[in-house]
Amino acid sequence: MGFYSSVEISASGLSAERLAMDVIANNIANANTTHTPGGGPFKRQLVVFAQKPGGAPETAGDPNDIEKLGQGGVEVLGVEQDQSPDRLVFDPSNPDADARGYVHYPNVSVVKEMVDMMAASRAYEANVSAMQEARNMTNAALNILRS
Amino acid sequence: MNDVNSVSFGPTVDTLSNAIAGADMQQTAIAENIANVNTPGYRRQSVSFKDALAAAEGDSSGDDLGMLTNSDRQFALGSQAAPQPFDPQVQVDTTDKMRVDGSNVDVDQETAQLAQNSGYSQTMAQLLQVQFMRLREAITEQTH
Repeated sequence: MGFYSSVEISASGLSAERLAMDVIANNIANANTTHTPGGGPFKRQLVVFAQKPGGAPETAGDPNDIEKLGQGGVEVLGVEQDQSPDRLVFDPSNPDADARGYVHYPNVSVVKEMVDMMAASRAYEANVSAMQEARNMTNAALNILRS
Repeated sequence: MNDVNSVSFGPTVDTLSNAIAGADMQQTAIAENIANVNTPGYRRQSVSFKDALAAAEGDSSGDDLGMLTNSDRQFALGSQAAPQPFDPQVQVDTTDKMRVDGSNVDVDQETAQLAQNSGYSQTMAQLLQVQFMRLREAITEQTH
């Protein structure tokens, strides 16, 4: 167990939550994007979190055995697309309207993104306080050498 | 902790350093829980280092210290057990699912434990500092 292992774990949490924040910001920015390089409207993106195996060598390893997953923090497995149906708006005058007069807008709900953003922000803050407490403990231990 | 250096500064220093090491393991487990607060299906981890600390003191029950005896004609009050080496283990809490995504992390509980553990660790560090100060006074015959 390293001297800074809990700080590294909190740092992995910080970077994962920051990436989640980036993806949410991208979703909000593209809430009305009807053209993408792949064709069709923008699809809402979701971050997939997973516990990272590793950390203490005696507990690390086998990802199938949850008892032996160890303490490596969190990692982002990937960014997936939300496959729910597009938001259809009846607007025949829009140049993007289909034959029936509907425009396909992204399946992004700005309200839902705002809630996700608050969750990611609070989780970020929780990781910051965990890191601060680890620093306080390290400082207290280093103060033993003083006096 | 004892096998790191052959010089022992007495049982108080050993116990306090074990307590700080245990609190550090607990801090790592709490940091892991907070980092995985949004991971679906994650199981929270904890370190029962206070039980391991009590076992290292020769107490199996964990709440009261027993009286040691050195003859079978003496009464043994309280629980007593042979002192075990200090070896706290990380435990995975598989009991209850409290969230829809299968995770059992409660961020409020983790934050409270974080504050508690940090306070505990800093108190132990302070006590260790005082203990070393006493040892230094004994070595220098209180000549400052």
